[in-house]
Amino acid sequence: MNRTLIALASSVVLLVGLLFVLAGDSSRGSNTVGKSTSGTANSLVLFCAASNRAVMESIRVDYEQEFGTTIQIQYGPSQTLLSSIEVSGTGDLYLPADESFIEIGIEKSLIAEVLPLATMRAVVAVPRGNPKAIKTFDDLLRSDVRLVQASPDMAAISKVVKESLQASGKWDELAKATVAFRTNVNDVANDLVIGAADAGLVYDAVLSNYKDLEAVELDELSTVISNVSLGIVASSKQPQAALHFARYVAARDRGLLHYEKNGFVVKKGDVWKETPELTIFAGSMLRPAIDATIKAFEEREGIRVSRVYNGCGILVAQMKTGQHPDAYFACDKEFMKQVPDLFPESVDVSQNELVILVQKGNPKKISSLKDLGREGLRVGIGHEKQCAMGWLTQNTFREGGVQKEVMANVSVQTPSGDMLVNQMQTGSLDAAVAYLSNAAGAGDFLDAIQIQGLECSIAIQPLAIAADSPNAQTATRLFQRLCSPESQANFEAEGFRWQIDRKSEDGSIVGDSAIGDSAIGENEQ
Amino acid sequence: MVQSLVTQQLATQQLAKMSSSDERIGDDQVKRLGQPRQRSDVPFFLAMGGLSSCFILLIVLMLAADVMFTSFADFRIALAKPEIQAAFKLTVMSCTVAAIASLLVAVPLGYLLSRYRFPGRWIVDTLVDIPIVLPPLVLGLSLLILFHLPIFGWELERWLRDDVGFGVTYQWPAVILAQFSVSCAFAVRTMRVTFDQIDPRAEDVARTLGCTRGQAFLIIAVPQAARGMVAAVTVAWARALGEFGPILVFAGATRMRTEVLSTTVFLELSVGELNSAVAVSLIMVMMAAIVLLVLRLLGAGPAT
Repeated sequence: MNRTLIALASSVVLLVGLLFVLAGDSSRGSNTVGKSTSGTANSLVLFCAASNRAVMESIRVDYEQEFGTTIQIQYGPSQTLLSSIEVSGTGDLYLPADESFIEIGIEKSLIAEVLPLATMRAVVAVPRGNPKAIKTFDDLLRSDVRLVQASPDMAAISKVVKESLQASGKWDELAKATVAFRTNVNDVANDLVIGAADAGLVYDAVLSNYKDLEAVELDELSTVISNVSLGIVASSKQPQAALHFARYVAARDRGLLHYEKNGFVVKKGDVWKETPELTIFAGSMLRPAIDATIKAFEEREGIRVSRVYNGCGILVAQMKTGQHPDAYFACDKEFMKQVPDLFPESVDVSQNELVILVQKGNPKKISSLKDLGREGLRVGIGHEKQCAMGWLTQNTFREGGVQKEVMANVSVQTPSGDMLVNQMQTGSLDAAVAYLSNAAGAGDFLDAIQIQGLECSIAIQPLAIAADSPNAQTATRLFQRLCSPESQANFEAEGFRWQIDRKSEDGSIVGDSAIGDSAIGENEQ
Repeated sequence: MVQSLVTQQLATQQLAKMSSSDERIGDDQVKRLGQPRQRSDVPFFLAMGGLSSCFILLIVLMLAADVMFTSFADFRIALAKPEIQAAFKLTVMSCTVAAIASLLVAVPLGYLLSRYRFPGRWIVDTLVDIPIVLPPLVLGLSLLILFHLPIFGWELERWLRDDVGFGVTYQWPAVILAQFSVSCAFAVRTMRVTFDQIDPRAEDVARTLGCTRGQAFLIIAVPQAARGMVAAVTVAWARALGEFGPILVFAGATRMRTEVLSTTVFLELSVGELNSAVAVSLIMVMMAAIVLLVLRLLGAGPAT
């Protein structure tokens, strides 16, 4: 056999040998994967923007030591990683350079939950000592200053800078003064380190990695702020484990400490608990509409949610005596207004109207509120002090001018509409004033008569997250779950009308709505 | 073995006889051209050398700048990192596997494209070049799509992972596959040119002496293509070393797992570790220089 053929045969042997070595290394690697103490997963895949590598590596080490779950981190450019998630349908978590990529992920239904971590502010980066004495916006336009920035088409920072400066008419001159548009802020910073530029627009947090650079803050850039958020991949096969790690990263006494150390302005995350327990106070009438959603939330998050259903008057009294739930879902706005310190901001989620419940076939021929005042009728209503329904009923009676007549026939006042339905079923009442949703499951033996012409007979249900909740982020995700289209279907099936508008809902997901602001946005440390 | 050597010798002698007349013509031409020189060759060498040195100088200056930018301490720190050690090991092994696999495919494919005119040849010829002209990220994306495209509910990656027990995407095989996809195209191109330059008459003569096509290929063509094969392995290995885009998309850049040196440079750059990035780049340069030197020495040895 000639030498060439011998060499070819040898290379085949070498090829096989190398493949065995690689396969051996790989299996040894997988054997070292520890057992998760939380019993959820042995390994998670995180798609992480390369710019977050330093902070994420330190968090990964801590988490793996504490729980034994291996975190496999795929680093890359944010958009490339998002495309990988879209094409491969793999991965558990996604941490892009800024939140704009999360928004794209949500639009494409690739991201299910979002946990806010920190904010970054746009600054002008210059070499340490600021040799070109750049202090104002006009300095950036000087002919002796080589300015670089990231492309507005590729990086969120420049997109926001462009929008902000276009409003003041300064963008065009800045673009003209820019000698190069780079793909990301790291390239901009690298240009400065190498000496290819004198000034560049970057996020302040990025500069913690560059000891040779310093930041110059400009008023024109003061509003250019981007969020850093961690997303849970919608197609993750282990959402509980993914959320466990995500909560760890977003916890104020765990992952956020690392973010703060790396120069980020961190959000006020939740206090770390391996299995957090949320408490939600909710009006009794909401139970059928929200209970299934809360159960699904518990399962997905791997946490516990204690539900306290009762008349809103009673719930308010409990809160005033010191009980502080993480979230409160009131039967009517009036009962939210009574605890403004605990819940300064709320979002109206649904509405429910008062109706007159009568026995099937309406044997007493009741057609309006006035008929309830007929002599001999046994009428049940909600308790005015104990529940929103009772308070609303009294208002409606007053507005309808029938309060005196009807109250004469009221034989029972209960703290919830369910109790009235039960009493109707036993035949102890001829009619009851309750929510339409109370009658949703009682169509076989009850009829509902609509109350015409009285706006006040409609109750609006607001939801709020407690301002002092140590679990505000988790509670916010519960809120988002309660605002989801699946939840809307549950509400509508139970006779509620959906109140929250899509804009508010979408905004809340990314933390821009009232609820998002109260729970997240204003909690920066 | 003796028989194959005899066949090869006979074929070479026959070929020498057939081409002896051509050689005589060549000698005459040389004599005519060999007149006394009337002008100096210095301008020729100055022009040629000057133009050539532009490129050489550029490379030398770039390397010098890299060396000046970093320090020995940066090298020591970079080499001490377990992540970079793992990336180094994976780089060497994956590049070698990709280069050998490329050669094993390139030799037969290059030979077929060079020697035969078969239906659809131009299509094959064009397809071979596609990985060369395709943007690297697109190649990686295409690989990713290939492994995750559901076809009537069946998906290649799921099948490999669940049924075969051998996942590819975001694992080390993805690194090799991404490197191979590009390296092989260059290797095929090199082998094709190699076989184009080898006169097929020796193989034809061998066949007239009783060799099959296979024997003619193995005994005559392959030994003559030895240097071309070394060149193909060199190109494939070097190409695999520099591969970045497809690996990033298809294999990811997981530390200690799918990180190769080219992705290390990217990761270090992304966090502002310029010194470390340059140190790793220079390590890659040294690796490439050593491997290319070894292969060149192998290529300079006797072909058969």
